[in-house]
Amino acid sequence: MKRSFKKQLAMLIVVVALIAGYGISALAQSKIVSSPAPNVNPSERKSLGSKSAPITIEVFSDFQCPACRNFYETTLKLVIDNYVNTGKVYLVHRDFPLDMHPFSRQAARFANAAAELGQFESVERALFDHQDTWSPTGKIDEALASTIPAAELKKIHEIESQHATEINASIERDRTMGIQRNVNQTPTIYVTAHGKTEPLPGGGVDYRLLKQYLDYLLRQ
Amino acid sequence: MASSTVVSQSATSRSTWPRGLLLLGRLALGFVFLYAAYAKLHFDGAWHLSDYHFFFAMMIDSYHILPFWGVQGMAHLLPWFELALGALLISGLALRWIGAATSGLLAVFIGAMVRAKLLGLEINCGCFGNNEKLGALTILRDSSLLVLALAVTVGAFFLARRKTSPST
Repeated sequence: MKRSFKKQLAMLIVVVALIAGYGISALAQSKIVSSPAPNVNPSERKSLGSKSAPITIEVFSDFQCPACRNFYETTLKLVIDNYVNTGKVYLVHRDFPLDMHPFSRQAARFANAAAELGQFESVERALFDHQDTWSPTGKIDEALASTIPAAELKKIHEIESQHATEINASIERDRTMGIQRNVNQTPTIYVTAHGKTEPLPGGGVDYRLLKQYLDYLLRQ
Repeated sequence: MASSTVVSQSATSRSTWPRGLLLLGRLALGFVFLYAAYAKLHFDGAWHLSDYHFFFAMMIDSYHILPFWGVQGMAHLLPWFELALGALLISGLALRWIGAATSGLLAVFIGAMVRAKLLGLEINCGCFGNNEKLGALTILRDSSLLVLALAVTVGAFFLARRKTSPST
């Protein structure tokens, strides 16, 4: 009788210990999952180039907007090659998803999650390169499958769901900033140099004209 | 004697009101053009005399009409041309020809705007500074300016003809 009581007590202790151990580990895991993103400014993760570059270009952009795609393909790619990669321009992406585009927020969340993994540049490029494919359906994974490996896509989606609150807040912060700065179309571009910020005409700019302006600013 | 005075007074008033209207028309048009030039050279709270053409070139280019060299040339010259037109309209010098040039310029602007609208381009007008979106209202506004410019031109030709024709 005594022995069976001891046995039952031992089993109870083991069960309680197991439950407690499982609980503590689950709690710790949930703490890891819900821990905030590393303490880096979200805008910095969505930026290219050196922060100490003499010129900063901010682009309020919507991944589903055709004018943004056109601006990215014909102007920004060349700016990245010739000015960002040479340390002359710091390029900042600002999310400004327009309500008229049903999948632009989804794309922005995806790009922000990729930014947390340090893959903003490649995902931004892929989103614009394949805009025609995902834009009508919102099937971003299918459209980007040829460019981004499945494992990477999975990782990005994991970050997207784990950091959903921070990502949505980051997008909303950019949008609010745009509204405060009277952004009413995408792309809207701001150029800051020598302590002065100038908005460029909305809707995108030809590379040759932007180049002339950037070269002028660099000569100053 | 009294009746002849009345006749001459009414003749004088009849001949002054077209001049008055013409003066008002050309002054209004002149100040609009001066303002258009000013808005292209002074924006975001500062004068942009050394770099206005970069911004204005981007605006002109968004219409997708002119080649690169045309965009550059127009961006450099147009604000000063508008300034000159505005000053000449206000001064009244060579009004017939200045009125005709103003009408022509406005017709070109309207043509470019209508074309942009038909092509579905979501661009800024570029008429008075950088931040005005091109829309039906901007086309309507420029059309009413064109009507005014045509009226000034026709009025200037009419008055000049009356001045040169022998009195009967």
